[in-house]
Amino acid sequence: MLEPAPFFALENISKHYGGVHALRDVDFECSRGSIHAVLGENGAGKSTLMKIMAGVVQPDEGRMVLEGAPVTFPNPSAANRAGIVCIFQELSLMPELTVADNITLSSPPRRFGFIDSRAQRRCSEELLARIGCEDINPLSRVSDLPLSRRQMVEIAKALGRDPKLLILDEATSALTSADVDRVYRMLFELKARDLSILYISHRMHEIEALADRCSVFRNGRHIETFAKGARSRDEIIGLMIGREIEGQFPAKPRRPRPASLITIRDLSWESRLNGIGLEAGRGEIVGLGGLDGQGQKELLLALFGVLRGVRGTVTLEGEPTAASSPKAAKSGRARMALVPEDRKSEGLILSMSIADNIAMASLDRLSHGMFMDPGRTRLAVERAIEQLRIKIGDAADPVSTLSGGNQQKVVLAKWLATNPDVILLNDPTRGIDVGTKQEIYRLMRALTEEGACILFYSTDYEELIGCCDRVAVMYDGRIVRELEGDAITERNIIASALNIAEQPETAHV
Amino acid sequence: MSRTADMTITPRGLRLRPDDKPVVFAAGFVLLILLVGTGYTLYTQGSAPLLQPQYLVQQLQVGSFLGIVAAGLMVVILLGHIDLSVPWTLTAAAMMATAVGGPWAIPAGIAIGLLVGIVNGLGVAYLRVPSMIFTLGMNAVMRGLMVAHTGGFAPQTAATDLMQYLAVSRIGGVIPVALLVWLMVSVAVVMILTCTTLGRSIYAIGNRERAAYLSGIDTNRVILIAFALSGAAAGLAGVLLAGYSTKAYQGMGDAYLLPAIAAVVIGGTNILGGRGRYLGTLVGVILIVLLNSVLSIMQIPEAGRQIIYGCVIISMLLVYGRGARVNG
Repeated sequence: MLEPAPFFALENISKHYGGVHALRDVDFECSRGSIHAVLGENGAGKSTLMKIMAGVVQPDEGRMVLEGAPVTFPNPSAANRAGIVCIFQELSLMPELTVADNITLSSPPRRFGFIDSRAQRRCSEELLARIGCEDINPLSRVSDLPLSRRQMVEIAKALGRDPKLLILDEATSALTSADVDRVYRMLFELKARDLSILYISHRMHEIEALADRCSVFRNGRHIETFAKGARSRDEIIGLMIGREIEGQFPAKPRRPRPASLITIRDLSWESRLNGIGLEAGRGEIVGLGGLDGQGQKELLLALFGVLRGVRGTVTLEGEPTAASSPKAAKSGRARMALVPEDRKSEGLILSMSIADNIAMASLDRLSHGMFMDPGRTRLAVERAIEQLRIKIGDAADPVSTLSGGNQQKVVLAKWLATNPDVILLNDPTRGIDVGTKQEIYRLMRALTEEGACILFYSTDYEELIGCCDRVAVMYDGRIVRELEGDAITERNIIASALNIAEQPETAHV
Repeated sequence: MSRTADMTITPRGLRLRPDDKPVVFAAGFVLLILLVGTGYTLYTQGSAPLLQPQYLVQQLQVGSFLGIVAAGLMVVILLGHIDLSVPWTLTAAAMMATAVGGPWAIPAGIAIGLLVGIVNGLGVAYLRVPSMIFTLGMNAVMRGLMVAHTGGFAPQTAATDLMQYLAVSRIGGVIPVALLVWLMVSVAVVMILTCTTLGRSIYAIGNRERAAYLSGIDTNRVILIAFALSGAAAGLAGVLLAGYSTKAYQGMGDAYLLPAIAAVVIGGTNILGGRGRYLGTLVGVILIVLLNSVLSIMQIPEAGRQIIYGCVIISMLLVYGRGARVNG
């Protein structure tokens, strides 16, 4: 095999956040004139890899070699100067500035020290024309553009930096299919001009259409790199999964499906939820699967009364309800509880005490009229700390002094104090040690034994398989498949999550 | 041996919680002001009037009006908001109280304050207008209404006897009634902040409104109530101040907004909300009142007084700010 010398190579790169290894000992290289796809599950380390290449985060170990010379990028602009430009998943445009301002943000053309707005506009027009977006006015404000146009502006901005290595992280997720075609053409053109392109996507058909080479990541390790066509879809999925099962889950009881406690019909919200139908009964743990950002979080928030303008019906114990706020949701006929996505900013008030946080959702139960009952509050707090085995020094300490796992237990304790019927869990075990995870699994099972109903969103498929009686896999704001019993396998979940059964064209909406 | 053991234990017993530090610091500064002032008078006059009970009681009586305003304002600041409508809420309450007269004078004054507070609360909580803008606007509106009401002149109506009694009289010739009113307001605020679900919710919202909302706290209602309390406190202060000067006049509230904010913040309440104890606000009010009084006793010219006053506020906040960063 005669391989061209790699343009950019990573050697023995490792990165960990706290105790979590995001990347372990990764070797990776990419060459000029090729499109290289990077595949992997959520949390496989793809994004961390890109961030290291783009200078957003620094590796703990290992070195990077650019065109034969070792380099370090202390910040993103250093990587930019070396010709490495990244288009991230989250849009990085300033919504209040014009398209032209954004495109030339990092190095605007100058005349006499002032920004030359005419040159700026001309240069933006050229870049937009290169990706076939002559219809975007460089003088319009970014916030006035629809999401798909903004994504194209983002691509134009990246091209304006004259990249040698272009990294696209889920860059097509918000595009219309016409724009996707334009992006494809642009990528092929850039490839012909000897650029190196890294392409991260969850969409298999895109990878098949674009990539010359594919690399699979799993659990922070680089598993395999192969040329396009060397592996079938099934083999690729196998590579993405193939990990040892760790962690123990409590046994699932075998019993007939219970009567429905919560029935969701045709639930829609903006473009993020598109007609969701789901039922769950007492004693059930129903998992929400799928890739990140397919509407799972929005579904939980909609049920909890946080979102405005939700259409469709939700029936609790046979009665139609429409929770208008979390307060209404937690005090309705069937009480709901939500363990939110970000425990540090949404689940807890970090600077307040452990006791205050535990009492926060059940203030009305712990008071006479408007006055708190200190005795009852203390008892409730002590009981919760004991029940969940939260390891604390003093309940009056700020909750920020606890470890992540114990903090999450405080969030759970807060909601268990309201004695909820429907418990909505948004990725409750993220960033938590294995021991606490197992305690949370056991707690979930114990709560359902007592008659609660749990809706459980997790980015970790293993958890869904181990914990759930049923798993509803979401894609693009819809439930594409409901798996039950033995059908809940990693292969099935991933296949549904990637929506492989779908025709490629319908995937971009 | 046993003595050294005791000594190693004492510091732990004295260890201050982060919230206590500003209170202790402000109290220490109050003593410092008294000492410096006394040193000055001993040197120039050979007497120590600042340490006499009459002087101190007199200062507390004058401080009562500021104290009541600061108590209400603190509730709003704990939420992370601000109430800039205090000056003309206070003035409007005073003018309406004297205009109504008779037994309904005091309820009318407080009701005006309450009403302004509720409008503020509706604007901030439900319309989501930033409180700094909305209350500033309300201040201007109230000012315009009062100018329209009086024609721009000092109203001719006088404070009722009860208002004058509350503001000026002393029980047994010693304890000012105004001080007792301040005390009652203080007890009420302490109760609200420490013993009620409302108080708990106020701290929660001030720390992180989103987490409080997701915990099922009716955040809008809490914000509304807090602004209503602040307005009512300003109204009460206006009623008392009209009683103190026997009448209401234009701009009588102008001197109360910034000192009240300063008192709350010097007392250790975080201007961004969520942290602070009422005791601190109490000490902060005393500090501001004494500082003003001592500076004028020392016959420092107005320009110098303003400079010293400003420097004290800034330097105290610098000290707290550094502490908070270390703790946080």
